[in-house]
Amino acid sequence: MTNKPLGLVFFPAFDWAISKTHPEREERLLYTRDQIVEEGLLDLPEIREYKPRLAEYKDIERVHIGVPDLSSLLTDAHLVSAGSVITAAESFMKGETSRAFALSRPPGHHAMRMVHGTRGFCTVNVEAIMIEYLRQYYGIKKVAIVDTDVHHGDGTQDIFYHDPDTLFISFHQDGRTLYPGTGFMDEMGGPGALCSTVNLPLPPGTGDEGLHYLLDHLIKPLLSDFKPDIIINSAGQDNHYSDPLANMKITAQGYARLADKLKADIAVLEGGYSIEEALPYVNVGIILAMAGLDYSKVVEPDLASLDLRQPEKNTLYIKKLVSDWQMIWSQRDKLKAAAIQKTGDFWQRRKSIYYDDSGIRESQQEKVRLCPKCHGFMTIATESEGYPSGYKSAFAAVITRNACPACAKAAYDAVWQAKKENKFQHYFVQDKQQDVLERLS
Amino acid sequence: MWLGIDVGGTFTDAVIIDKGEIIHQVKTPTTHDDLLQGILEALDQVLREKTNAEFERISLSTTIVTNALIQGKLDQVALLAVSGPGIDITDKTPVKPHLLAGYIDHRGRETAKVAVEELEGICCQSTKNSIFAVSGKFAVRNPEQEIEIAHYLQEHVNPKHITLGSKIAGTLNFLRRTNTAYYNAAVWQTFEDFAAAIEDALVQRHITAPVYMLKADGGTLPLETAKELPVEAVFTGPAASVLGIMAMSKISVPAVSLDIGGTTTDIALWKDGGPLFAGRGASIDGYPTSVRAFRLKSVGIGGDSLVQRVNGQIKVGPMRLGPAMAFGGNAPTVTDALLALGLISHGDKNLALQAMEKVALPGVTLAETARQAAEAAAEEICRAIQAMLDDQAAEPVYRVEDIIHEARLQPELVVGVGGGAMGLVSLVAKRLKLGYEVPPNAMVANAVGAAVAKPTMAITVRVDTEQGRYTVAELSISKPLPQRKFNLQDTRELAANYLTARAKRAGITADKIEELYTEEFNIVRGFQTVGKIITCSLQIKPDVLAYLGNEGRNHHD
Repeated sequence: MTNKPLGLVFFPAFDWAISKTHPEREERLLYTRDQIVEEGLLDLPEIREYKPRLAEYKDIERVHIGVPDLSSLLTDAHLVSAGSVITAAESFMKGETSRAFALSRPPGHHAMRMVHGTRGFCTVNVEAIMIEYLRQYYGIKKVAIVDTDVHHGDGTQDIFYHDPDTLFISFHQDGRTLYPGTGFMDEMGGPGALCSTVNLPLPPGTGDEGLHYLLDHLIKPLLSDFKPDIIINSAGQDNHYSDPLANMKITAQGYARLADKLKADIAVLEGGYSIEEALPYVNVGIILAMAGLDYSKVVEPDLASLDLRQPEKNTLYIKKLVSDWQMIWSQRDKLKAAAIQKTGDFWQRRKSIYYDDSGIRESQQEKVRLCPKCHGFMTIATESEGYPSGYKSAFAAVITRNACPACAKAAYDAVWQAKKENKFQHYFVQDKQQDVLERLS
Repeated sequence: MWLGIDVGGTFTDAVIIDKGEIIHQVKTPTTHDDLLQGILEALDQVLREKTNAEFERISLSTTIVTNALIQGKLDQVALLAVSGPGIDITDKTPVKPHLLAGYIDHRGRETAKVAVEELEGICCQSTKNSIFAVSGKFAVRNPEQEIEIAHYLQEHVNPKHITLGSKIAGTLNFLRRTNTAYYNAAVWQTFEDFAAAIEDALVQRHITAPVYMLKADGGTLPLETAKELPVEAVFTGPAASVLGIMAMSKISVPAVSLDIGGTTTDIALWKDGGPLFAGRGASIDGYPTSVRAFRLKSVGIGGDSLVQRVNGQIKVGPMRLGPAMAFGGNAPTVTDALLALGLISHGDKNLALQAMEKVALPGVTLAETARQAAEAAAEEICRAIQAMLDDQAAEPVYRVEDIIHEARLQPELVVGVGGGAMGLVSLVAKRLKLGYEVPPNAMVANAVGAAVAKPTMAITVRVDTEQGRYTVAELSISKPLPQRKFNLQDTRELAANYLTARAKRAGITADKIEELYTEEFNIVRGFQTVGKIITCSLQIKPDVLAYLGNEGRNHHD
């Protein structure tokens, strides 16, 4: 038993909204603030509140490439939100806290590496920024992310899709029934990182029972196999039965027990838009559980009047999902080797990405070098069109942290070559070894 | 003509202030076993020496409540808590609470009813004339359940006193309100007896001037009103000192004030002409409460702090063995060092030099030794000031604006009062590269503070236009709104009216109303704005009745 407190960065951004009636608006965490303050949580010795610092552009550029640039796409709120997550994580890394929770907004898990605008209420990926910060300054290598938001964490998946050192596990309402429409089982990571992306789509109506079955029989065992240096929880709260944007049946107790079992080192708020009926209780439950305090009394006032049992077919589906994944996981090394062999030197795909909040359509071509000596490099060719942003294009290369000299050179060569052909407006190299985002001009 | 009496740890000081001047002061020993005795001695001495005194008001800063709390002289209180879903408070309050069914949610809606059967059980255990504290979660959003329980108790057990959590403070924090309600009830009888004794004594002396009690927030309350909120009279010593500084120094720039006593120095920060308040509230016996208090930090350095040599280094405080050698003590102190340096003049300088001899190293002059000791003390105080400024800057804020335009407090002035070690102020100021002021009469700052402190009072109005209701917790009001459309300005006016009326009932003039905070949020359903939640908290701010004359004011740059 540790005596260190839970580090809590609470940043409700009471003066920031995407728009006046958008779900991501000023009072999203108002009722949560009310509940936290009224419960007296901030006075408890088991909880230490931190004021967020501002993230620097350098911290954000370690992950993102903004087109035409990040500063024209971000607001100050994004710098504070990313800074909140870094502050929380640093309190943990410095040994001041036993674990940390960044209860801040705006959220981030739909933001991909390439940023043309805002999608799924997210502009920059606050968890990814924090993870790369820890890798840069604290020597963290293996990271596990468990995304418990009801929506597929497609941004986080995109950023770490080719990184075998990041295990990304996301459970979410089935993409056929909910934004962003991705997160199917066959999205398992690039060939060099196969099975380090684990998608667990759940049918609508899944409740605490199904969630905890998944946690106990799959997620926990995967985590203990992977042996991460650090566990991150993308703690979205929209699986709650009252959430207006989704159709699941998780309760505050379900979420609190999840936090208790998962024992994430750092949790980061993501979505959750039942701001009155769910968030006050879910957040108090998560905070108490993470602080090692009794959360058994955290119950929604209307819970007794509801029937939240999940349909039998969900139970059967989840059991099959778990056994399918157990099978895949047990053969992951073999599957990965086969995928690499089948692919050859380069792996590529085309992607179409929609920025619902900005009204932008992006098309991307991603090309990954599978190098036997290192994690290789990647190039991304991107074009987007929207109103009022107009047409934007860029060509970028990403040099991985352990890229061999040949890969690092090849990455630069690819961008210079593209520049020579002059088909794009902007040219970037995101060089993780030098820790810079270079704009070639 | 105002009389201010401050009961300190050693002395009870009384000052008479007339037309902005201290015209008389007396000092009597504090009688800890019976505070009243010392207070009356001071009063009688004043009356003997100033036979023509005609007081317009008498104000008291006493340790009556603080002592009761520290000595554990608390009455038995039945603490009833409607805690609803959430944290388990069973082991977080000073006494074990009776947890009752019922719940008011964050919007002030009743989501579970109070169960009368449970109250019957508690009433059976309680004897006649019991004392109760009743506190409900979110009762500040709707006090109905607390009131319902109070009514039940009144009808069934004829209680001697009931404190309601929502009347104590209109702000969120159930745990703090619950603790505060408990302590308020627990010292209620003690304060009631004390107040009655004061009233009797004044009648006997034919004094009809109204009596005010100083509070931890530096304001006063008429004795009659204070009887209902005795817990507010806790920790008034530091508050009196801060008010004294305000009256004597009229601080208009960002500043640090030091009250340097015998064993400790109390530090306060000043901004916009007033002292900063603690973010939440004072803690009593380790339990957080909602009693508003100044942001103060106490550091273990004072005039009587022991100067010793530890591993070859001069070490100062926090230990105190007795008075300075210059005043007949046995061990070297900070005061001795300051006297040896010539920074103060009171005391026997030869004895002070002898004191320095005790800690001087061979070949080092006594003056140099004294300088090292005094600098060590100043350094300790500066470190505490720095920590306080850091803490203040690290206080969480919840708006993007406040992070982007972060303004760290940059003091421009040091003000020092207190009998302990006045010479220290100049050394602290020099280290901080700031000017300093030592107001005349700095020795009686506390009594002056008590004498000139204005009454204060706060009120919180919360409007929920979707529900069409508003609440004024401190007044146990929960009512329909007069009109459907209600904006921030309407809310401000409503709050100001309630505050003025409440003040008037207590005999207080509400001339300087200050906004503590306001919040305005939309309530959106689907993509439609369906209402607003507006909160407005106002106070009659702590202030002084008069600033003392500036003749002889010592300003040093």
